[in-house]
Amino acid sequence: MKKLENKVAVITGATSGLALATAQLFVAEGAYVFITGRRKKELDEAVETIGHNVTGVQADSGKLEDLDRLIDTVEKVKGRIDVLYVSAGIGDFGVPIGTVTEEVYQRTFDVNVKGTIFTVQKALPLLTDGGSIIMTGSIAGVKGFPGMGVYSASKAAIRSLARTWTVDLQARKIRVNVIAPGHTDTNVFAGFPQEVLDGLAKSVPLARMGKPEEIAKAALFLASDDSSYITGTELVVDGGVAQI
Amino acid sequence: MKKLANKVAVITGGSSGIGLATAKKFVDEGAYVFITGRRQAELEKAAKEIGSNVTTVQGDIANLDDLDHLYTVIKKEKGHLDIVVANAAFVEAIPTAAVTPEHFDKTFNTNAKGSFFTVQKALPILVDGGSIVVVSSGAHQKGIAIYPTYSATKAAERSYVRTWAVDLMPRKIRVNTVSPGPIETPIIDLQFGTKENSDAMRKTFSEMTPMGRMGEADEVANAILFLASSDSSFTTGADIPVDGGITQL
Repeated sequence: MKKLENKVAVITGATSGLALATAQLFVAEGAYVFITGRRKKELDEAVETIGHNVTGVQADSGKLEDLDRLIDTVEKVKGRIDVLYVSAGIGDFGVPIGTVTEEVYQRTFDVNVKGTIFTVQKALPLLTDGGSIIMTGSIAGVKGFPGMGVYSASKAAIRSLARTWTVDLQARKIRVNVIAPGHTDTNVFAGFPQEVLDGLAKSVPLARMGKPEEIAKAALFLASDDSSYITGTELVVDGGVAQI
Repeated sequence: MKKLANKVAVITGGSSGIGLATAKKFVDEGAYVFITGRRQAELEKAAKEIGSNVTTVQGDIANLDDLDHLYTVIKKEKGHLDIVVANAAFVEAIPTAAVTPEHFDKTFNTNAKGSFFTVQKALPILVDGGSIVVVSSGAHQKGIAIYPTYSATKAAERSYVRTWAVDLMPRKIRVNTVSPGPIETPIIDLQFGTKENSDAMRKTFSEMTPMGRMGEADEVANAILFLASSDSSFTTGADIPVDGGITQL
């Protein structure tokens, strides 16, 4: 029996990396998925990669009208959402406090925090009672990494929202959890010098970067009934880097 | 494909509650399980419920000779272990003012010392790349007046897995805890004496929990399966609360 048989899932920011891997796994487990991405070309490619039971909706999570269009599309095609995985996020790394511009702040918080809040809010009318909301946080939310203050703060905000929404949505039995990836092998790290990547891997107790598929399996756990008594939590998939 | 096909697991305290639910799930997923418990009759009942692919080994984890015996049996029968679930625990609801040295020692000898040596003594037969799951408790990060000793032992377990995650890294052994909240298991009735008292506690626990209910042993077993299997291949040193949100808000 598949874990998400006949479920409808929405996954934002799913044109690459861990959210794309999650979309693939959800479809393999029986779900129909809606994915979003900002760029048409990457979105079309992701839809093609996933193959079937997928609709792509071009959307920038920082723009509320795009989110309205996403929800309209889901309503027309499927009429409901069982699993909402808010994963769209951006980050400028290597921006120490002295160099943070208003623009860096605004862009990061618009997508990561405002986008998350309104994705969830706008999805609520379509979310089934007993549904599951998952958000991509980050171990950066509980760590200090040089030059990552704005990004890390936005991820800490997501962790906080999960606590509040657990209570807010309790009456509808909607579970809300966060996945906190550590250093994961996605295009976030594309272009980093090899010695930097090696150093990152070495800092991890499991001595390597995580794979998108490993995040996807955690997302499946939180999306499915396997986690039916788990809410308000943060599931850490970081090779131990923030745990020791 | 089953998640634990051909894996060998030991589950301490496997004759009831979370341990038994985990043993059943593991066997459903293809594993061979060794379960321990102090009472032979309960163990045999559990083995019958599990049905197949199970060996029972009577023993108290607070008794290090019993642990040696456990691993001698596993080594003889299977030669190795893939998964350790350190689940056996002792709990007695006693506020600080009423704690006796006997209660203190029994709680710490079972939970803090017993779980430590359950893991240490498993290491020689645990395969590289194996998984250790320690069943802690949401109590490890709360203040609950009736559980001063129990909570402290559970905090010790949360601490062990951080150290072991580093210590066992060269062998690629992952180590994690699950922290159950209030779960409907036989220990509820055993702790609170009368049916009335137990039901009153059930009501209190349910009301304390954001989800408004107690959890089922099977819901904890699902999280243990996640941590035991390769589904959690990049998670180590971590804790999964299975508590309806009680420690998380």
